[in-house]
Amino acid sequence: MIPRLLKNTLGHLRSIGEAIFFLGDIISLIFRGRIRWDDVLNQMYEQGVQSIVVVMLTSFATGTVLGLQGFITLQRFGAKEFVARLVVLSLLREMSPVFTALIFSGKAGAGITAELGTMNTQDQIQATRAMGVDPVVFLVVPRFLACVLVLPALVIISEILGMLGGYMIAISQAHLPGAFYIHETMQAVGYVDFFSGFIKVVFFAIIVGWICCYQGFFTQGGATGVGRFTTKAVAYSYIAVILSNAVLTKIILTFWG
Amino acid sequence: MIKVEGLYKELGGQPVLEDISFDIGTGEIIAVLGLSGAGKTVLLKHLIGLFRPDKGRVVIDGVDIDSLSEDQLLKVRCNMGYLFQEGALYDFMDVFDNVAFPLREHTKLTGAEVASRVREVLKLVDLDGIESKFPGELSGGMKKRVGLARAIVLGAKVLLCDEPTSGLDPIRSHDISDLIRHVSQQIGSTTVMTSHDVNNSFRIATRIIIINECRIAAIGTAEQLKGSQVPFVREFLQATTA
Repeated sequence: MIPRLLKNTLGHLRSIGEAIFFLGDIISLIFRGRIRWDDVLNQMYEQGVQSIVVVMLTSFATGTVLGLQGFITLQRFGAKEFVARLVVLSLLREMSPVFTALIFSGKAGAGITAELGTMNTQDQIQATRAMGVDPVVFLVVPRFLACVLVLPALVIISEILGMLGGYMIAISQAHLPGAFYIHETMQAVGYVDFFSGFIKVVFFAIIVGWICCYQGFFTQGGATGVGRFTTKAVAYSYIAVILSNAVLTKIILTFWG
Repeated sequence: MIKVEGLYKELGGQPVLEDISFDIGTGEIIAVLGLSGAGKTVLLKHLIGLFRPDKGRVVIDGVDIDSLSEDQLLKVRCNMGYLFQEGALYDFMDVFDNVAFPLREHTKLTGAEVASRVREVLKLVDLDGIESKFPGELSGGMKKRVGLARAIVLGAKVLLCDEPTSGLDPIRSHDISDLIRHVSQQIGSTTVMTSHDVNNSFRIATRIIIINECRIAAIGTAEQLKGSQVPFVREFLQATTA
């Protein structure tokens, strides 16, 4: 029992060590300029297309729900005018970065793991090495970098759609004038609100790209293995995004209030 | 050309190869035979540095490849071609791009020169006219041929083929074996192939290595092995030629 536990613990520690070296390798290759920009652009297109519709729908729905709940609650205190501030600050600081990162890891992240995993089980990664090409440069760096570039763009789209949802509720349900809602929104947002969300989303993009590429690159066990590693990649990404969001929120609030 | 000395490898705590030593001269075609799981593919992957030996060494063209860093190994591999069992073609690229991949990575050829070279090697493997097909549209035999075309497109000095005839019918196996011999002679490569296919291996190989229980059971020409008194070799040859 104890030797097995020890063996499992050592196995997990080894995996964590490998994953950290893997991230170090990716970052070192990026800083050394080993970036295939054509492949990065292709990946950005693939990952963007995979996620954008779900992100737009979810963000719009989130904005409307925020607007509706905010309006109902604030109305009780005679403060329904503050609904624009509630919607925009919730979206920029928390909702859009976290929801978009979760959707992105479930769609594009899962796609990355499944694709790399299938390539690994079909010897395509070894074939890349056998042809004298570094598979991390060819397959991993473009996917990782695309995550870091696409996710922030998706978050901006999500924020715009979310605000639009809140705006529609504000004018249709709360009967606030449109110009007033827009003015309140502009007044509420400070640089800190925008950049705190932006810092989070860059961090989430690194985490999702790292976890999904790592799980895909080291997938074993044929078709079953691809399914297992893809599920693992999405689950680990979700946990990492949610936990790191709590830590980042605390850090950002401590420094920026 | 290739020298293997005292090669020892463990995988998952179990020895897979023990005390493997042999020399291969330039231009030879060597077939590595043995039971399933005997370590043939592991041996082949050592020859291109995809596996590193636990003990012993592999010398290619005077260079001990275990002493090289991964970046140096990538450069050495440009002179080698590896045909994987299932072809290992990129399924997101069509046949043309698969075969052109090593050229685009390692040469400064123009688009027209790349196209010309791709057509040339596809013709060599009897597959001209399928450039725009994707791997998913090809039969097993065609995938192996495209894989072979990709392996030789840079004019490999060393050609390594992992079970090139597995999963093929006898006629296709015969054809692809002939093709490997023909291609090796055309590009002047030293070829090592693993196989279960005794008849075709005996037909095209200059020498044969038989592996049993992680070690070399016999090494020699087809005639020498047919007269071997080693019990495993006799049993193996009788079972596979019966």
